[in-house]
Amino acid sequence: MRNDFWRTGVVLAAALFILAPVGLIVWQSFLTDAFFSVRAKSTVDTYGFVLSDSGFWSALKNTVILSIGMVLFAVPLGSLLAFLMVRTDMPGRKWIEPAIFLPLFMSPMVLAFGYIVSIGPSGFWSVWWERLFGAVPFWNVYSMPMLVVVVALTHVPHVYIYVSTALRTVPSDLEEAARVAGGSPLTVATKVTLPLVWPSIAVSAVLVAFLGFELFGLPYVLGDQDGRLVLATYLYKFNTLLGRPAYQMMAVVVIFIMLITLPLVILQRRMLKSAQRYSTIGGKATRSHLVPLGKWKWVAFAGVLVWLYAVVLLPLSGVALRSVVTTWGPLVAIRDVLTLDNYHKLADLPLIRRSIVNTLLLAFVGGFASLCVYALIGLASHRSRSESTKVLDFLVLLPRAMPGIVAGLVVFWIFLFVPVLKPWVASLGAMWVAYTLVWLPFGLRLVSNSFSQVGRELEEAAHVTGAGQARVAKDVILPLAKHGLLAAWLLSFLLYAREYSTGIFLMGQGNEVMGTMLVSLWNGGNIDVASSLAVVNTIVIAGGIALALRLGVRLDA
Amino acid sequence: MSFLKHPALRRSLLALMAATMPSLATAETPAGYPADYAQTIAKAEAEGSVVVYANTEHAAVEPILADFQKAFPKIRVDYIEIKAADLFSRISSEAAAGALKADMVWSSAMDLQFQMVEDGIAAQYTSAEKAAVPEWSNWGDKIYGITYEPVVMVYNSKVVSDAEMPTTRASLAKWLQENKERMKGKVATYDPERSGLGYFAVSADARNSDDLWPLVTAFGAVDAKFYTSTGTMLEKISAGEHAIGYNIIGPYAYLRAERDPNVKVVVPKDYTVVLSRLAIVTEQAQHPNAARVFLDYLLSKRGQTVVGNEAHLFAIRPDVTGKATIAGLSAEYGDVLKPVAIGPDLMDAIQPMPRMDFFRKWADALKAGK
Repeated sequence: MRNDFWRTGVVLAAALFILAPVGLIVWQSFLTDAFFSVRAKSTVDTYGFVLSDSGFWSALKNTVILSIGMVLFAVPLGSLLAFLMVRTDMPGRKWIEPAIFLPLFMSPMVLAFGYIVSIGPSGFWSVWWERLFGAVPFWNVYSMPMLVVVVALTHVPHVYIYVSTALRTVPSDLEEAARVAGGSPLTVATKVTLPLVWPSIAVSAVLVAFLGFELFGLPYVLGDQDGRLVLATYLYKFNTLLGRPAYQMMAVVVIFIMLITLPLVILQRRMLKSAQRYSTIGGKATRSHLVPLGKWKWVAFAGVLVWLYAVVLLPLSGVALRSVVTTWGPLVAIRDVLTLDNYHKLADLPLIRRSIVNTLLLAFVGGFASLCVYALIGLASHRSRSESTKVLDFLVLLPRAMPGIVAGLVVFWIFLFVPVLKPWVASLGAMWVAYTLVWLPFGLRLVSNSFSQVGRELEEAAHVTGAGQARVAKDVILPLAKHGLLAAWLLSFLLYAREYSTGIFLMGQGNEVMGTMLVSLWNGGNIDVASSLAVVNTIVIAGGIALALRLGVRLDA
Repeated sequence: MSFLKHPALRRSLLALMAATMPSLATAETPAGYPADYAQTIAKAEAEGSVVVYANTEHAAVEPILADFQKAFPKIRVDYIEIKAADLFSRISSEAAAGALKADMVWSSAMDLQFQMVEDGIAAQYTSAEKAAVPEWSNWGDKIYGITYEPVVMVYNSKVVSDAEMPTTRASLAKWLQENKERMKGKVATYDPERSGLGYFAVSADARNSDDLWPLVTAFGAVDAKFYTSTGTMLEKISAGEHAIGYNIIGPYAYLRAERDPNVKVVVPKDYTVVLSRLAIVTEQAQHPNAARVFLDYLLSKRGQTVVGNEAHLFAIRPDVTGKATIAGLSAEYGDVLKPVAIGPDLMDAIQPMPRMDFFRKWADALKAGK
């Protein structure tokens, strides 16, 4: 009989991994001072203070608007993009794919700055527009609508990864049957393909909505000057508002963000109720044919190019321009200020090479290690109806309720104050723990979805012929879910490569990552060198992705 | 390289190196130091490294670290850069857990630095260079000012001409009110609520004179923009998106002015607040002697010359010559310069209730201008 002890064990370990930091946050929210301070006393006043602060409610309102905007725009666009890339014969698919992953990897701060340089009030597009049409441009890069658009468009790749992974395993027999019966490509897409990948769409919608709640970088740079705050930047204010950092205030805001997970997860469970019907990997041999788009393929191609332009080319061109000039704006002529100095200065900084190595190590090896963790937890909750796995659904989102800097602080505290962990407090290992914790819901969902696509009959066939659970996992589930596993690795790689704030407190000497250098240069006013570093980073990572996709990490069969 | 962190392993490695290499001479004791300083240096070299937590950016501090390496080749500096508020979080957390790794903490957040003295994190050490730096630049032998940085105004000379740029707070307030339409959205300064340094500078302003408040009203009138990042402000002033920056920290302003001929610096003529990056040697230091040697180096003539002339952080030692030095500034501006006193009063800036009162007054003044 099946021994389910190991499942409970893994789920309990995962729960502990998640609940330790969450518990610390809850405790901190009821204290008057840092939990390790002798002056700390218990209180509920902090909750009252935050709830009565109009700044909190306006930040909450802005956050909800952003979240809804992200779901309304990113989910349909991401799903459509996935369909076009995976199931149709749209031209240019081979070189578009690496480009899609770029926004995932680009630091939001760099992205936002790129927009300011290209379409800000002094941006070169704005200047050309004014010269061309004689009037000030109709857009304002610092406005709320612009923020919603930027945030939504840059989160299309997140949805894309989930939906495209699911789409790669959908066999064509059902679609072909529909086409043979006279359905147009649109009918096939909406009536056959869409329902089959519905779990992935639903899950990515919930995750994207949740990402909206902890969004920090883009609102921080684009909302900085007008003081328009979202929950994460509102929370960050408490780092300086009262003089010394007010952890209890930050903890209370995090608790409120965590409370949002409840309705979101309930919504998700409702959407996935009949998830069993979506297994697409069955016992029959199948082939995936592409849906021919006919004359629509050029329209689709143009649409994708427009999106790529808005999300990749526009900001990157801004950053690239900044990296080759000494100064910019309508008051200077570009040809007077061109220089390669910023790249030379970059070569002079000794930490650059080490930070690139650390980043690649953490992203590549760390990403793989995280993948193993996600796969283990995924297998433990696979096809399990026990209460513990239902609870896990709620728990996994909780770590992401903490914006990066709070998550890093909390993991730092746990390493610092738990005696057996203390020696490793400032190490790449501790940073890996923080990253894995914070991105847990994303990697885990990707992996779980892939596992649920494996037809039940395949596992049962293996069981019936005598395979134990480990054998079934090794020979049936994991190989068939390899798209999901590879996608999760790629996602982890990209997210870890751009991470910065989560690791601030866990960085020792020698652990610097690329984000560290970027922020350091920025803070010192060396925006020019920071821009050249961002360009170098992007080229290195984009090149790496393109190479990987060419060589072996094929995300399709 | 993490095996080097294991003390026993590191010591045996050092012993092996000492045995196999012809012994390099111990670094020279600088002139005028106490006779037994050579022992301190020897102990420091045996310790082999000093861990410094600071908020000065790598790019700025690089020349200082490189020169220290030349002066004391056997002492490695492990420099970790962290922003001021996070630096405080990290130090106080590590100290509370009895796991403080920093031997020296060096930060531009003067108020938070003094809190560490109050919390017993700072060790007492009479620096060998104490007599050579101004008396007011350290306190109780526990905390030392390393730099002398004026808080200045910055403007883009293509948007605001050199002739019309005001040079005092009162005249700036008046000029902004007179040029309201032209300057709308073009003035930038720190948000005192979200920037610790911004609050510190502007509260020092308020203590020095009442001229601040009409200026804040003028900020409200021109819809000034409030930032947390110096780099972003300077970038936008360079690009012409903003015309004037108020209360910009000196070194960054001068650095930008060097790179961009359109950007010019104004040292306010009514009074100029002067900040200092404060350093403490920690009580829990694992390399106490190396920390002392590093502190003395930072205050030495050699170190201060690098601080002023290569790192552009403005030397505080009066006998160092150059533009970015206390000597150069005092010669040009004299009494206008008002350094912030280093002492327990620094902690007034981090008391919650006075801060909230100040923010209310600030918000009211801004609203009055609209």
